[in-house]
Amino acid sequence: MSNAMNHVRVLFFATLRDRAGMKLLETDLEPAATVRDLKIFLAETNPNLREPMKSVLTAINHEFAFDETIIPQGAEIAMFPPVSGG
Amino acid sequence: MLPTICSITDEELDLDGLLAAVSLPSCGAAAIFTGLVRGVTTRGEAHRTEYLEYEAYRPMAESKMKQVADEIRDRWPTVEGIAILQRVGRLYPMTPTVLIICTAAHRDTGVFDAARYGIDRLKEIVPVWKKEVGPGGESWVEGDYIPQPGE
Repeated sequence: MSNAMNHVRVLFFATLRDRAGMKLLETDLEPAATVRDLKIFLAETNPNLREPMKSVLTAINHEFAFDETIIPQGAEIAMFPPVSGG
Repeated sequence: MLPTICSITDEELDLDGLLAAVSLPSCGAAAIFTGLVRGVTTRGEAHRTEYLEYEAYRPMAESKMKQVADEIRDRWPTVEGIAILQRVGRLYPMTPTVLIICTAAHRDTGVFDAARYGIDRLKEIVPVWKKEVGPGGESWVEGDYIPQPGE
């Protein structure tokens, strides 16, 4: 196992983008970091995201992901509110 | 190979063209649902809408549309062609925003239910959002569905 940091892209959509003030964040996570770890990191580094992190939906590589999901190397992560298309 | 079209588009939805694209010589029925931008809302809190601004997480949205099409085929094996399209961008009242077409040999094959399932499911798992703009300002429309593992 490599101990290298995991470089990931985090995309924000709709209300999450408005709150984050950005569309894309590139960051390095600890190996074996989970979605929950990422939410905690975002809430700590961006106060505007503290509240939305409690109810945000997360996807990893185009599939829904959950708090316990371990983030794979180089993942494309997306964070957004419940969908409202149609 | 049965025709399946799943797409996010910036273009006007071509209802006739899409129907032709998912019709086969064996088809005698097509259930077509399209959603429109509603300019005047009376149900619930009455209000007017100037336009809706749609956005999508395109690669995931198209992948989830394909999943919805697969779910339709699992539930209604009689369905032949499927089209699932969502238009994005700024859309004004009376404009079609979404289109679901299911075709089958006959109308009593579950084809109405299949199209209904398609639009209901799109509103649950396909990552598209809309912002509503009206005389009182703008606000995001938020859904309430929380996907579970495996969805």
